[in-house]
Amino acid sequence: MPAERPRHNVVLLSLSLVGLLVWLTLDTVSVAPNRIVPGTAHGLAASLGWAGALVSALPLLALAALSRRPTPAALLLALGLTVLMLAALPLWLSLAAHRLVDPGAAGARLGVGAGVWLLLFLLLMLLVELRGRLALSRLAGVALLALPLAVLGLCLSRWLAPLALWQEFQGRRDQFLGAVLEHLALVGAAVGASLVLGVAAALAMRRWQAAQRIGFGMLNVLQTIPSIALFGLLLAPLAWLSAHVDWLAALGVSGIGAAPALLALVGYSLLPMVRNTFVALEAVDPGVIDAARGMGMSRGQVFRQVRLPLALPVILEGVRITTVQAIGLTAVAALIGAGGLGTFIFQGLGQAAMDLVLLGALPILALALVADALLGALTDTLRPGGAA
Amino acid sequence: MIDLIHVTKRFGDAVAVDDISLSVARGELCVLVGTSGCGKSTTLRMINRLIEHSEGEIHIDGQQIRDFREEHLRRRMGYAIQSTGLFPHWTVARNIGLVPRLLKWPAARVRARVEELMGLLGLSMAEFADKYPHQLSGGQAQRVGVARALAADPDILLMDEPFGALDPLTREGLQEELRALQGRLEKTIVFVTHDMDEALRLADHLVVMHQGRIKQQGRPLELLREPADAFVESLLGGEDRGLKEAALLPVSQRMLPLGPRLLARERIGQQASLREALSLMLWRHAERLTVVDDDDLPVGELSLRRLVGARSDD
Amino acid sequence: MTEARRLAVPLGWVALLLAATLGMGQLEGLFRLLEPDSRQVIYARADFLTLLGRHLTVVGVAAVLAVLIGVGAAIAVTRPRGRDFLPLVSQLASMGQTFPPVAVLALAVPVLGFGTLPIIVALLLYGLLPIVRNTLAGILGIDPSVREAARGMGMSSGQILRQVELPLAAPVILAGIRTSVTISIATAAIGATVGASNLGDPIISGIVNGNTAYVIQGALLIGLLAISVDSLFSRLPSPGGR
Repeated sequence: MPAERPRHNVVLLSLSLVGLLVWLTLDTVSVAPNRIVPGTAHGLAASLGWAGALVSALPLLALAALSRRPTPAALLLALGLTVLMLAALPLWLSLAAHRLVDPGAAGARLGVGAGVWLLLFLLLMLLVELRGRLALSRLAGVALLALPLAVLGLCLSRWLAPLALWQEFQGRRDQFLGAVLEHLALVGAAVGASLVLGVAAALAMRRWQAAQRIGFGMLNVLQTIPSIALFGLLLAPLAWLSAHVDWLAALGVSGIGAAPALLALVGYSLLPMVRNTFVALEAVDPGVIDAARGMGMSRGQVFRQVRLPLALPVILEGVRITTVQAIGLTAVAALIGAGGLGTFIFQGLGQAAMDLVLLGALPILALALVADALLGALTDTLRPGGAA
Repeated sequence: MIDLIHVTKRFGDAVAVDDISLSVARGELCVLVGTSGCGKSTTLRMINRLIEHSEGEIHIDGQQIRDFREEHLRRRMGYAIQSTGLFPHWTVARNIGLVPRLLKWPAARVRARVEELMGLLGLSMAEFADKYPHQLSGGQAQRVGVARALAADPDILLMDEPFGALDPLTREGLQEELRALQGRLEKTIVFVTHDMDEALRLADHLVVMHQGRIKQQGRPLELLREPADAFVESLLGGEDRGLKEAALLPVSQRMLPLGPRLLARERIGQQASLREALSLMLWRHAERLTVVDDDDLPVGELSLRRLVGARSDD
Repeated sequence: MTEARRLAVPLGWVALLLAATLGMGQLEGLFRLLEPDSRQVIYARADFLTLLGRHLTVVGVAAVLAVLIGVGAAIAVTRPRGRDFLPLVSQLASMGQTFPPVAVLALAVPVLGFGTLPIIVALLLYGLLPIVRNTLAGILGIDPSVREAARGMGMSSGQILRQVELPLAAPVILAGIRTSVTISIATAAIGATVGASNLGDPIISGIVNGNTAYVIQGALLIGLLAISVDSLFSRLPSPGGR
């Protein structure tokens, strides 16, 4: 029975206890003298001492205690504690850098260990859980991250110079900026092109039934083909074209690089775009269309003033799916020389430099999450009557 | 058969059912009626422990329901609900045979029982046995729902607004069939509805609920004639009470033996209700009707005076 | 439709895949046209059948584990005892799908090292998401009155799960598995960059050595594999009368 559930919050309890376990037992940092040599792993006690380690576990214990009586006030307190712990992580990392990395050794670097990554993940899960229980908006959830991010920024600029990830970034500052821009440009171009083509295709499918089956059939097959294979299959024909058609070559079209990447990205983006646009336009309540025509609106008026506005949120949903998907696929495109953040991933994998891999993977993750959140919020505001 | 003794149900701090006591005799059709949120469905669902009561005792045949295992208790009772709850991935026949299979009847016996029930509810085996629920009309689906509830021949049938979503014609047809079925099978039925006409038409024992309490209970005529308070009176139809009462009384109760006068031209069956008789009089501008039996032979007459006559005539 | 006719299309694709795998060597002349200057035009570090087998093994192991864990987790959080975890798990499953598979793969390497294991783990982690999400959607999407009726008829919770919830949710769960496997096939190919040897290998080595013929051979086989598997999924019988 819903009314007779246990009163304590099991989720909060288990997340905080697991957090406690990983934080106290797993390796938290590793220190390496330079980029090549694998680092020495350290537990928590190395950076904080035993007493410090136990003190640092107190907030997690407090969370576990709060889970016994999850009143709204207690949950709010738990949320506050979680945000503070997230903010404290960079500070602790600075301390670890100060204590464990020899300031004299120029190339020495600090790596972040499994314990910290897992704790970070668990804390973010706590944030998601508490935000849900307290029914806070998406925006509030993002706002909660402001403090931890600000602290992280401060620490990076002051004390975290030995952090390996940060060193990789410092070594490639300009390259990194360029890669982000390339990545965004490819995604933007692919989504933009597929939006235009997708809407056109959806409109065509509404008019000609035959186009529907064939169109969706083809796009479905295309979507199934793995990106790496599609990039590969485009390589040969595009190389041939650039070798034999001068003006294409002049445009920069070749077997590798941005041209096959963009072509493939547009291909992948078409299915979600067409499907959402088509479904959105078809799914408008026929009663509403009937009423609109009954009032004497012309076909064009019905489409522009009724059907399109009502369909817009679902079409935007398609743009959101497409964008998130394109951000991920563009990373793969780095394999065929299209540039973007994927370059770091594959370079890093090639050189077995894990922090370089992170330098590519983490921003891609962030881009995907931010794009998802922004477009999701936009969809919500466009929905008639506000967020559903 | 079913006894609720000072039963209370709380959801958190809210009291859904407040200290009700109710006895349903074997073979009785008991209707719980009231506005939405009055606790009638909660009461019904406490009987098969879909909801556990908070206080008081509920007995079946003198035995506390908490002494049974939940599933075993439920398999002893039929259960039919408004949305039918038919399993969309099973055929009609398989749906009906659910409880017998849960009770591990041999396959042949299940099949025979399904066939029997489909016959009982007027569903042709050849036409419906292999259909899926989404291929049925609302009325057909509800028949299947009732057949499924009856499948293991339970003594008790619990019905939660089973006819609520049907059109008026289908609903009336099924109500009549239910009465007929109950006359034949002698089930003890607890039936929940918010439709007072349905309640009056079906009930042997009528229970009016409001805000978690029983306002009044008794035979439908008793309630109509002596409502306990203004609420029961308004629920029973207020100004329409006279008509509702007339709908419950058969013509045979008020008719006089054939007199020396000429037979009136308009005829009415002796099983028809006084309400129908009144309607016929209004429509035909007639003050007298000839009452006929099932073979259309005159057996008496009914005058407007008699129809509206004093109660002492009963 | 008879069984044979229902399976005709997917079996056709499978046959094409096998023919391409075994007969790639016969096409040497064709690839020679593409790469007239290369010493070798047929990828030869491992034969294609082995690569295909390894690809299928990695995807298969990850898929079986993902189905067991994903469906199990989704069932657990929809039972009364695990219900507390439902909001978190369903949010994680939908948020997780925002993560690009490449990024997940890349993040698995620092933790688990190079080779086949990190790929299986990454495929498993990522493959869980669509399965969990669809299983949840399938189970939670069942008309509440059906569950209510099942309980009212005296079915035990195990019987409700096996006879009502799972069969009704099956088409949605299968769609989730299909998505999961499709993504896994693609991601496994990228796994060739972290040292797994599978059909992604010819592509990567072709790109590294500038040998278009290798790239096309790998791409062709992966594409055929993906289409074959997807086509097989689309012909699986769906329970129920719809």
